[in-house]
Amino acid sequence: MTAQAPPTPRSSGQAPAGAGRAAAGWSSRTRAAVARPWLLLAPALLVLAVLLLWPLVRVFLFSLQDYGLREITTGEPNWIGLRNYGEILTAPELWTVVLPNTVGFAVLSVAGTVAFGTAVAVLLASLGPFWRTVTSSAIMAAWAMPAVTGTYVWVWIFDADRGVFNDTLMNLGLLDDPTNWFTNRWTFYAIVLLNVIHHGFPFVAVTVLAGLLGVPKEMLEAAEMDGAGAFRRFFSIVVPQLRQVFAVVIILSTIWDFKVFAQVYLMPGGAGSNRSVLNLGVWSYVESFGQNRYGFGSAIAVLLTLLLLVITAVYVRTVLAEEER
Amino acid sequence: MSARRSTARQVAKGVLVALLLVFTLFPVYWMLNSSLDAQAGHTSSFWPAEPTLEHYTFVLTEGGFGGFLRNSLVVALATVLVSAVLALLASVAVARFRFRLRTQILMLVLIVQMVPLEALVIPLFVQVRDLQLLGTLLGLVVVYVALALPFGIWMLRGFVAAVPVELEEAAYLDGATWGRMFRSVLLPLVAPGLVATSIFSFITAWNEFIFAMTMLGGATESYTVAIGLRSFFGVHSNDWGAIMAASTIITVPVMIFFILVQRRLAAGLTSGAVKA
Repeated sequence: MTAQAPPTPRSSGQAPAGAGRAAAGWSSRTRAAVARPWLLLAPALLVLAVLLLWPLVRVFLFSLQDYGLREITTGEPNWIGLRNYGEILTAPELWTVVLPNTVGFAVLSVAGTVAFGTAVAVLLASLGPFWRTVTSSAIMAAWAMPAVTGTYVWVWIFDADRGVFNDTLMNLGLLDDPTNWFTNRWTFYAIVLLNVIHHGFPFVAVTVLAGLLGVPKEMLEAAEMDGAGAFRRFFSIVVPQLRQVFAVVIILSTIWDFKVFAQVYLMPGGAGSNRSVLNLGVWSYVESFGQNRYGFGSAIAVLLTLLLLVITAVYVRTVLAEEER
Repeated sequence: MSARRSTARQVAKGVLVALLLVFTLFPVYWMLNSSLDAQAGHTSSFWPAEPTLEHYTFVLTEGGFGGFLRNSLVVALATVLVSAVLALLASVAVARFRFRLRTQILMLVLIVQMVPLEALVIPLFVQVRDLQLLGTLLGLVVVYVALALPFGIWMLRGFVAAVPVELEEAAYLDGATWGRMFRSVLLPLVAPGLVATSIFSFITAWNEFIFAMTMLGGATESYTVAIGLRSFFGVHSNDWGAIMAASTIITVPVMIFFILVQRRLAAGLTSGAVKA
């Protein structure tokens, strides 16, 4: 991996600027060197503060209000305390529909993406250079497909009247009448799952492949001499070696899969008309922009953010632990 | 016996590779196939039953997709320019200087990447509305710069850190100022990383959907490609040939870019996770 960042303990604020200079003007130069990182950071920090941090504070403030069209136009606050949260947590919809659709889906898609991606990486590692190039180029094509167009292609493939999936099943005699797969919650999410795995496994495959190629050949050969089978070698040598890689891949996939929005919203019925397929993100969006209940939608968004923050904390710790080693 | 076993292995591997290729490429193939078939939406056939380019000409002329493409291009290029400059400066700061709060800033950069867009879309909608930028491309650029920035800083930081400090010190010994060193030593060496980061920002802006949908609303003339696509959906029936032709036009540049930067992108995403 080319972009791997080696730690640079020798670069300190003062050292480069002061190296090889005469003692005259030292203090002003030191001050410039201390200020320099902050000058470099200032524009980026300003953008992050105004466009990411302040909105995050604001979404929390909105979530404590009955914030609707009137509040947006007048700008006057309308505090109601934690009532939005109370309404969300007591809504039967949350426990029977939204949370299972969010958490259950994330668990299944992370498991599917990581398992499939790893299997593909193992297959790629065993191929010669020609077929490895061919296959990884095909994988890149799947990865590069934008979520919006990718979702439309899957919708078209599974289209009730004219889709190739129904047509093929009917031609094979497995299906008598065209079925609308988008109305049923389970088949709806099966299609989302297929879409998300198809789009997400290339990242896992490419990353795990890079890790696999770094596992010392001698260790595998020694294990083979000792009579360890292929499965044994994989789970006893390769997996422990790639612990860190798997940690990052699993956590990043989890974060991405909790946030699926376009893949659900753009499906037939996914934009709120079919309440049984709502997930946290889509629920927040349709309550806000569909019902003009921005405060209620904000409260849902805050809950989703908290959920992700917990996962992120794990991610940050994993990455930092690796950098300190 | 071992010869037969290895042949069986080769065959099994071949079958697996074939299945994998079919699974990965089928959606792309189906998109192209439908976009080139005059019969798309009437009969489904595995190759164009009546090959034609009419979906493409329809989309680009009557469909108004040319305008959407121009809007997307303007937004994406503006996002790339602004976010590349900001990210480069910030990444030099965090990669080359040790200062108080450095770790905290790095953490912040990591954490903001995880914030779901659904949480940002409500306050940013209100903010952009207060600035009276709803329905304008400028409003979108402002938001996209913020979305592309954290990842850009995180990725560029690796590229900057990979430039040997000795080169910088040699420049100072030759009497260069910090600014001169930045221009003549650091910038050329970080250029490949800058290209990769820029391509990533381009793709972010090009593909983005939820903000474009929310902020542009009914302003059809400023639609970007990702939401312009929706205009081909009818109330009762969808013009699948046109939708697939437009999807192909959106996807092709992204795919070309992606193949150009695939290695660096994967490396940047996991920098620190994979030992070289």
